[in-house]
Amino acid sequence: MEKLESTACASHCGGTCLMKVHVRDGIIVRIETDDGEEPQLRCCLRGRAYRQRVYAPDRIKYPLKRVGPRGKGEFKRVSWDEALDLTARELKRVKETYGASAILVKTGGGDVTFVHGTGRITERLLSLFGGYTGTWGYHSWEAATFASVATYGTIAVANTRDDLLNSRWILMWGWNPSDTIQSTNTTWYLAQAKERGAKIISVDPRFTDTSATFADEWIPIRPSTDTAMLIAMAYVMIKENIQDQAFLNRYTTGFEKYRDYLLGITDGVPKNPAWAEEKTGVPASQISSLAREYATTKPAALIAGIAPGRTAFGEQYHRAALALAAMTGNVGVHGGECGGRCLGDQYPFNTYPFQLGPLMPAGANPVDDKAPVQKISLKGYRVGDRFVPRSSARVHISRLADAILRGKAGGYHADYKLFYVVNSNPVDQLPYARKWVEALPKLEFMVVQEQFMTSTARFSDIILPVATFLEKNDMIASGATPFYGYLKRVIEPYYEAKSQLDIAMDLAERLGIRDFNEKTDEEWVKEIVKGSAIPDYEEFRRKGVSRIRLSKPYVAFQKEIEDPEAHPFPTPSGKIEIFSKEIEEMNDPLLPPIPQYIEPWEGPRDPLKEKYPLQLITTHFKRRAHSQFETLPWLRELQPQALLISTVDARSRKISDYDLVRVVNARGEVIIPCKVTERIMPGVVDLPEGAWFSLDEKGVDRGGCANVLTTDRHSPCGAQATNTALVQVEKV
Amino acid sequence: MGLGFFFDQTRCTNCLACVVACKDWHDIPAGPASWMKVVTIEEGLYPQLRVSFLVQCCFHCAAPGCVAVCPTQAIQKRTEDGIVVVSPELCLGKDQCHQCREACPYSAPQFGAEENSKMQKCDLCLERLRKGLKPICVAACPMRALDAGPMEELISKHKGTREAVGLAFSHELKPSIVFRSRMKKP
Repeated sequence: MEKLESTACASHCGGTCLMKVHVRDGIIVRIETDDGEEPQLRCCLRGRAYRQRVYAPDRIKYPLKRVGPRGKGEFKRVSWDEALDLTARELKRVKETYGASAILVKTGGGDVTFVHGTGRITERLLSLFGGYTGTWGYHSWEAATFASVATYGTIAVANTRDDLLNSRWILMWGWNPSDTIQSTNTTWYLAQAKERGAKIISVDPRFTDTSATFADEWIPIRPSTDTAMLIAMAYVMIKENIQDQAFLNRYTTGFEKYRDYLLGITDGVPKNPAWAEEKTGVPASQISSLAREYATTKPAALIAGIAPGRTAFGEQYHRAALALAAMTGNVGVHGGECGGRCLGDQYPFNTYPFQLGPLMPAGANPVDDKAPVQKISLKGYRVGDRFVPRSSARVHISRLADAILRGKAGGYHADYKLFYVVNSNPVDQLPYARKWVEALPKLEFMVVQEQFMTSTARFSDIILPVATFLEKNDMIASGATPFYGYLKRVIEPYYEAKSQLDIAMDLAERLGIRDFNEKTDEEWVKEIVKGSAIPDYEEFRRKGVSRIRLSKPYVAFQKEIEDPEAHPFPTPSGKIEIFSKEIEEMNDPLLPPIPQYIEPWEGPRDPLKEKYPLQLITTHFKRRAHSQFETLPWLRELQPQALLISTVDARSRKISDYDLVRVVNARGEVIIPCKVTERIMPGVVDLPEGAWFSLDEKGVDRGGCANVLTTDRHSPCGAQATNTALVQVEKV
Repeated sequence: MGLGFFFDQTRCTNCLACVVACKDWHDIPAGPASWMKVVTIEEGLYPQLRVSFLVQCCFHCAAPGCVAVCPTQAIQKRTEDGIVVVSPELCLGKDQCHQCREACPYSAPQFGAEENSKMQKCDLCLERLRKGLKPICVAACPMRALDAGPMEELISKHKGTREAVGLAFSHELKPSIVFRSRMKKP
């Protein structure tokens, strides 16, 4: 018997789409996508390959228990009872022996859904159990969220994507939605904006596929120096008096302090285009003309991608972009953008104010509550319904391996003995792989919920197999134009895989937690739907989507701009804070209260460049969603993992296309083929993130994992600096 | 004129959704055979570049070279709709003959990895056309950059050109594809 099921696809790829799944006798045989009314939500290549993901021969079929040394990947099949009994026993033992803070938990996006995605379930379970040590810092956009909250009081700072059609001028800064999706249909709206005559400019060290298709002009820039160019553009606007002064007077605070910095009144250094050229490699004349165009073309959208924020002082880049957009008066208007954290597709990261019923409460974590709040905590920093935890008991994600390795002796709040990982692959996806390899054997117990044998799974004692979103019920709210999506169970779970909720329920029973949860996943979806704007649950379930029809695109801060007396910005001053008193009170010279350029360590002017002369960036890869989809043959054949190196840098090293090269710095070594190209700035190399590391007998990575080379230093506000690293490349 | 493709080269972002959708729909394993590919054409030197993308599949030529050279008449152009189809049971296999591949300037004929695999290629999703659906690549394209249908209709609807960056129109074969091209108009 064959049926066709419509369901939402949400794979942490940056989009959410509609999938139509052909199921014959309980087996998926084909996958189609939305063919209904426009805007259709058409899947990307990852969604189209999902059948291969569900039935991948390397998917984890049963609970597994480690039998060899940790990290060797030797496991045996065990029953769910044995796996869960052991996990529960270890949780109890570690809590009783060392205290709850010895339980370290890393959750991630997973599928970024309401019920099973992110960390909610595990956090609730372990909070009720007595607490755990959590993490802080978002992998992707800590700098962007911090800067948006500091400047605008909220992370909800982007217009819906269809508003691009109202833009006359679009500046894509480190932004590549052809690969990163950045909301389904974003590139489709970009194409339409271009066809309507919008001029599109790309500032990026790479000539990306997005730039290739849309950019009228490409401005290559040295990584980690974007702030200097944005600041010099602000300088040009002031010098030529083309900033929107009326807007600044009415809606912002602290502009004078910024102006004094730009003009060099505070430090004797005018931040002119020549000053920026030296740092960025962008010709001063180009900086000036870009500033003029931006200030004089309205409406204009500066879309500040989040990759340049994943740098040594990434928050300054975002703060400078936000300030520049305010200087041009493009906030709260159709066709503008406030230069903030570019739209994240899925709730709670998007702008549109969705109505929703209650999600599972994560609960209060006693370990968090016992420790003081961190100094760099912004009071208004909320994501969706939750304040972002900023307890000083938490470990920054970049420092997790270091924390496991050194514990209290290294200044951390506890010695960590048990590591619980859900919806995340920290060992491949967090910096400094070698440190992970050193740290993980120190743990007394490690458990992961996974679908594949990632490096994180390979180091675990217990692996619990997890169902894909086609094997359970869940929900999302998202979109370039807003909609709700239903992720429906269209097939039975693969072999012995279980949903995250079912795993947690089984553990709760073993841990003696009675009031953990009484609802099935479908009952949770029903509750969320009850409080939403969805008219009919059954229709929503059947169609997989419920769209919100807006007469016009949604514009962030429209009411704050139209009626500022009645609608102050949600900042302490009620205005756009170019100067932030809250940041000033943090009293950190590396976290200044106005946007400033701070020379990055491991940047283009670091003395370390003598030894490691190339700047490494670690960009997203079309065929993966971070480290997901890594092993699927349909996707692997489309893009070999390779180091992107410029023709100039390859020639001086006698390297040819697809030669094996050694990419090395003090943190590690990767041997990988290279792609020699005109499409990257000389002095910059790119090793796309998400590949799983695979160390040979000499400790050299042959998997092409970028995090073998990235640093575990984070920016002052807590951004991962995965795009700030120096390396050398040589022919093998 | 029969059925053919439209491809908007100004919109294609090389997202590759069409390539994977085709593999899934026709159940083609990873390997050398791919009925739909997207090729990248890079021109210029840093930083003055033009990079374009081009779909590569069977263009169901009006006068297909593959049909002319096939020694066993395994390849036929259907009279009713112009779709070029292959009968694998008649094909001699890649170890004995690959004249079709050599005759096609657009790399349409494909062969699997297995021994003496038979020629396979895009059939414009005949199975879908019969149900009134567009080919899977067209339905998949997130940029709405692909279309398929009767050539007269495609030409009048899209007012396109017959050449694109990376594809020269063969007057001999007459590929059934219309473009919105990135080439500058002469």
